[in-house]
Amino acid sequence: MEKKAARNLFIWGTVICTAIFIWLTIDTHISIPKRTNTDQLTEEVVLGKRVWHKYNCNDCHTILGIGGYYSPDMTKVYSLRGENWLRLFLKNPESPDPRRRKMPNQKLSDEEIKKLIAFFKWVDAIDTNEWPPQPLTVAKVTGVPLEETAQVLKGKNVYNQNRCDLCHRIGGQGGIIGPDLSKVGDKRELQWLSKLIKDPKSINPGTQMPAYSQLSEDEVQALVTFLSGLK
Amino acid sequence: MIYESQKVAIKYFVISAIFFGLQVVVGLVLILKYIWPDPLIGIIPFNTARAIHTNLLVVWMLFGFMGGTYYVVPEESKTELYSKKLADLQFWLLLIGGLVGVIGFLFGWTAGRPLLELPVELKWAVVIVVLIFIFNVFMTMVKTKKWTAVQGLLLGGVVMLAVMWLFAIPFFKNLTFDYYYWWWVIHLWVEGAWELIAASLMAFILLKLTGVERMVVEKWLYIELALVLTTGIIGTGHHYYWIGTPGYWLWWGGIFSALETVPIVLMVLDTLRHVKHRKIEITDRLVLYWTVGCALFHFFGAAVMGMVHTLPQVNRWTHGTQVTAAHGHLAFFGAYAMLILTVVYYALPKLKGLTQFNQKRGFWVFWIMVSMMLTIGLAFGVAGVIQSYMQRGLGIEFLTVQEFMRPWFIAVLVGGLGFFIGVVIYIVDVLKIATHKPE
Ligand code: HEM
Ligand code: HEM
Ligand SMILES: [Fe+2]
Repeated sequence: MEKKAARNLFIWGTVICTAIFIWLTIDTHISIPKRTNTDQLTEEVVLGKRVWHKYNCNDCHTILGIGGYYSPDMTKVYSLRGENWLRLFLKNPESPDPRRRKMPNQKLSDEEIKKLIAFFKWVDAIDTNEWPPQPLTVAKVTGVPLEETAQVLKGKNVYNQNRCDLCHRIGGQGGIIGPDLSKVGDKRELQWLSKLIKDPKSINPGTQMPAYSQLSEDEVQALVTFLSGLK
Repeated sequence: MIYESQKVAIKYFVISAIFFGLQVVVGLVLILKYIWPDPLIGIIPFNTARAIHTNLLVVWMLFGFMGGTYYVVPEESKTELYSKKLADLQFWLLLIGGLVGVIGFLFGWTAGRPLLELPVELKWAVVIVVLIFIFNVFMTMVKTKKWTAVQGLLLGGVVMLAVMWLFAIPFFKNLTFDYYYWWWVIHLWVEGAWELIAASLMAFILLKLTGVERMVVEKWLYIELALVLTTGIIGTGHHYYWIGTPGYWLWWGGIFSALETVPIVLMVLDTLRHVKHRKIEITDRLVLYWTVGCALFHFFGAAVMGMVHTLPQVNRWTHGTQVTAAHGHLAFFGAYAMLILTVVYYALPKLKGLTQFNQKRGFWVFWIMVSMMLTIGLAFGVAGVIQSYMQRGLGIEFLTVQEFMRPWFIAVLVGGLGFFIGVVIYIVDVLKIATHKPE
């Protein structure tokens, strides 16, 4: 090949590929409104995105898999955790465990938290071609499979919503300040567990565990049913 | 060096080296945060440090590219620079802009988009700096109308860099569009514009180093860059798999980005062939090492480590994990850090009129940086494979998996400390050469 031919290859190759790329871009512009539900892209969602930028969340967390790899991905956080959990967490994200990686408290106002949650809700519904993928197998949480009764599921929900996992582990997931609860059902009975949850100091005066007196009797019952099933 | 105005490059090279050092220090801060609970969290949290690490990277590379261009263009055009004053002005603007940006991050002045954190005011300032630069370079070429391929493609690369940058400026309401155009900057820089700049600078050095005919070198330069752009532009699609963009990008992106490896292989072959068929004896062993090392490491970091996760079947599992960090480090180092160091080790002694100088330090820098960056990149890579398998494959929670990755983060730290020594020697070397007084 002569130099002149090489130059023509450069020019025409670039022109043609740029044209294809622009054509694909136009088509993408046509499909994105539907794939991202722009009808639900409200002013509040946009304001939530601005909060997301203001605190530079994206340099610790990925979203749609892009950003810092220091902290969990936010793409599906809305469906994973739910609104209530997010509100509690964003208000006070700092883990009490000194050995755990900490998210610093951003001192978000309630208004900002509301907007962020609206943003996460909208992001959650983006058609991402099924990313993140469903795990190949789900790691076993406990030795004996959990009985998924309504009461157990409610208890599990109470456990998650109140972020017990900041200190406790089940099946290797969670914090390390408190004891492992993977087999707590083998060791403790219902009565003992509910007493502990409502007033830990009555069982062990030196404990670091806070009292969960704000839980209703119903919630405590569900929680201990869930816990005693962990074997 | 032949022309007096080429000397403006010296200060570009010096600042480039110093910012490189700062970038690496902040890299160490980052990796420490991964390993232990973070005592600095209230002063410089991870996100701020990451913004500083990556923006310093871009700024020191811009200094390197601009210094290199100011060295090459007068020699290619066979004339002094159009305006040495503009080159000086532009240097100070970039320096002040860079410093304001970094200090601003410390005070939370940020646009909050990864890698493009510069606030909008500073983004426009960058536009101005780059326009001055393009104007100066272009007017120099116009003065003598010697349109060599080397400088034509160099100018093309810089113009493309500027055009793509414009997409960094607006605020996007829709996150999907935000990232769609985010990649027009990130991807079309590193796999487009910057490849043009780097390959042209490399072609210039190969011309001078090996004495191979210009016809031959420039022909292959055209072919390499034709392939870079024909594959790389549509190859942007390898970032459009999971961000809300249509499914056909899995095909367009997968196929074209896999082909992006072809021009990178060609660059290795061309470099080796030019060296083999050299017309003059290569006396500068150090520059030869950097040149060949750069071609090989570019191949490893960008082509091999890029290919590993570019197909959607793999990327589905590795996307957003430390696998990306592994590739990012190896590719940036091999393709651009090594290129700039090649240019500096070629041009700086000449700018100071040194025909002979002690190259021992330069070789130390070479071997330390290469081995330590391999350590860093591979350690990130192992951490990334663990993460992909446990977090994505087995569905184990993010922070739980991070515990399993810690040994590999410690390996990154060890490599990073070694790399830091390399960078210190490099800065010392650059300062020594730059402050050399002719007898
Ligand atoms: C010199 C050339 C290159 C450089 C400097 C470079 C650098 C980078 C960087 C920094 C990122 C991460 C961006 C981010 O999300 O923050 C990235 C992502 C990526 N690169 Fe490259 N790259 C280069 C060439 C290539 C090539 C040739 C390929 C393919 C053959 C490739 C494949 C990829 C892929 C697939 C990703 C996305 C990873 C993910 O899913 O998160 N890169 N590159
Ligand atoms: C002592 C050496 C270094 C260490 C310890 C280090 C460490 C790190 C860490 C921990 C991150 C953040 C990853 C995350 O988001 O979680 C990062 C990001 C990054 N670093 Fe470094 N770094 C070092 C040197 C370098 C060098 C020399 C370069 C370029 C030549 C570089 C280029 C980058 C890039 C491009 C990113 C963004 C990566 C991405 O988006 O995927 N780093 N570095
Ligand atoms: Fe890319």
